Amino acid sequence: MDKRDHAGMSSAADLAGVVLSRVGWVAGGTRILDDVSVRFRSGQFNVVLGPNGAGKSTLLRVATGLVHPSAGSVTYDGEPLSAFDPQRLARVRAVLSQHVELAFPLPVRDVAMMGRYPHFRRVPTPRDREIVDASLALVGMSDRAAQPYSTLSGGEQQKVQLARVLAQIWTDDAGPDAAQSRFLFLDEPTSSLDVHYQLHLLDVARGLLEARCTVVAILHDLNVALRYADHVVLLDGGRVAWNGERSEEIPLSVLERVFRVKARRVGGAGDEGSLLQFTL
Amino acid sequence: MTRVARRGYAGALLLLVALLAVALVISAGAGAFTFTPAKMWSYLAQGAGWSPSVERDALGRNVFLQLRLPRVLLSALTGAVLGVSGTIMQGLFRNPIVEPGLAGTSAGAALGASLVFVLGGTSAFAAPLGSLAVPLMAFAGAFAATMLVYRVSATFGKVNVFTLLLAGIAVNAVCGAGTGFLSYVARDPQARNITFWNLGTFTTADWRGVIVVAVTFTVCFALTLRDARALNALMLGEDEAALLGMDPQRLIIRLLVLNTLMVATATAMVGVIAFVGLVVPHVLRMLKSSDYAFLLPASALLGALAMVVVDVAARLIIPPAELPVGIITAVIGAPVFLWILMLQQRRGSAGYYG
Repeated sequence: MDKRDHAGMSSAADLAGVVLSRVGWVAGGTRILDDVSVRFRSGQFNVVLGPNGAGKSTLLRVATGLVHPSAGSVTYDGEPLSAFDPQRLARVRAVLSQHVELAFPLPVRDVAMMGRYPHFRRVPTPRDREIVDASLALVGMSDRAAQPYSTLSGGEQQKVQLARVLAQIWTDDAGPDAAQSRFLFLDEPTSSLDVHYQLHLLDVARGLLEARCTVVAILHDLNVALRYADHVVLLDGGRVAWNGERSEEIPLSVLERVFRVKARRVGGAGDEGSLLQFTL
Repeated sequence: MTRVARRGYAGALLLLVALLAVALVISAGAGAFTFTPAKMWSYLAQGAGWSPSVERDALGRNVFLQLRLPRVLLSALTGAVLGVSGTIMQGLFRNPIVEPGLAGTSAGAALGASLVFVLGGTSAFAAPLGSLAVPLMAFAGAFAATMLVYRVSATFGKVNVFTLLLAGIAVNAVCGAGTGFLSYVARDPQARNITFWNLGTFTTADWRGVIVVAVTFTVCFALTLRDARALNALMLGEDEAALLGMDPQRLIIRLLVLNTLMVATATAMVGVIAFVGLVVPHVLRMLKSSDYAFLLPASALLGALAMVVVDVAARLIIPPAELPVGIITAVIGAPVFLWILMLQQRRGSAGYYG
């Protein structure tokens, strides 16, 4: 936000990132999201937290454009999501889901290449191949490129999916969308991963922040979430229960009420070292 | 998708083309009348008017041009249709045990077509449709049956295999009963031939059938090829395909229509032939890749090759009588089906190819 002092830049800067205004979503008569207004800033690691059934996944489906909200609107850098055509949206926005299984045998490189589908017409260009190789290298799967996806472990499969997603919104791509910012959503990406893969994946996602990317992650592990988050949105019953940039300031009373547990901080006083501990 | 893989695809496709060409020549020459390649060439030249007709050869020429050649071509086209159809349906249902014979498509087509054969000539609804009545009714029956099976087995966009199989059994049983009843009450001895519908045969092949199936197949196949990439993306799931900029709902409907159109047309001509659509894509996936850019053309070629070989066997096993081709495909295909099912049980529903 260092552009504030430039006249006329402030409004554009305020709209950078993903903005949900007064979003509502009703399914089968039940209000899943109720008047949710949040802003996920560009260049920040945004984390959405909340108990099961709080509406996190629905929020992500609305924010990624998979479904249209029944009320309210979503904008990317100020442009309404409804104004994007599906192909253009797919070139700047990608989603890493929990776990993707393939019913059929396919080499790892072909799976990662699917991330480039929105970019080429029939046959991948040499540039598409370079990007796929680079994204596989970034997640440390280069030596597995020719191996069938189904023979990998769950953690390795998730790395390949991350490579696919990175290839989809590759940031130094000189394509038609080179000037566009990128939007990466992570839907509980680490729930099937051991702690090494979890931290590795989140570090890779953090690394994207420098390149005009907005990262929004749904995470389950509160300690991991608070460690990585620049901005936390706490959902409860389809509403925003807490929303702020300094995650260590979330009142314990709010966490206790939302997650229906007893919470206390252990270790360093409010600093990086502190951890949350929960009991029933 | 890499350059090396693409060259590998081209090599495999060329090999299949060569094998299919050899099989076509052998099939055209084998049977009650045998023809040498030189004889075939001279008949072809006479038929096309390039060389003068030889009168003392009229019988052989007519057998070759009016019976054998359409039969060989129809068997190849039907095999291509069934192979491609199995590939499309497995892609749409995201499961390797789907094929038109199991998912009700073929049985629905047979019921629709037999309605026209038995009642159609006189009934008010079919008369205005003329010669299109059989393919159209076959399509209507096939589409209704396939959609029913799909709707029952797919909840929240994910297909449950066992529901799919059970729904397929039920729809096949109903359609089979309907076809059986129609055959039973039919006056026309042709339409009474129930084995024609249930086991498939190429004995009734003629040029009209060849042309109808060839045109339908070519158009549907060309349109399907454009969706090869979308079928690849669909392997990840409907949401993931949508996030890659595709429209999975429209893709599924479009491909189901194209697939049903091909299968219905072929089934209306030759009857129900099961298991080809199951085995062909399975073999290709194991040998090479599930990349649909390869799988679609390769399954057309391998399907054609398999069907031509089966048709030769049907003519040669118990001469001078003929075995219905569906018996041979079932004897080979059913064990493969059971084997795939066992593998799937053992390793969970996904990733068993590893």
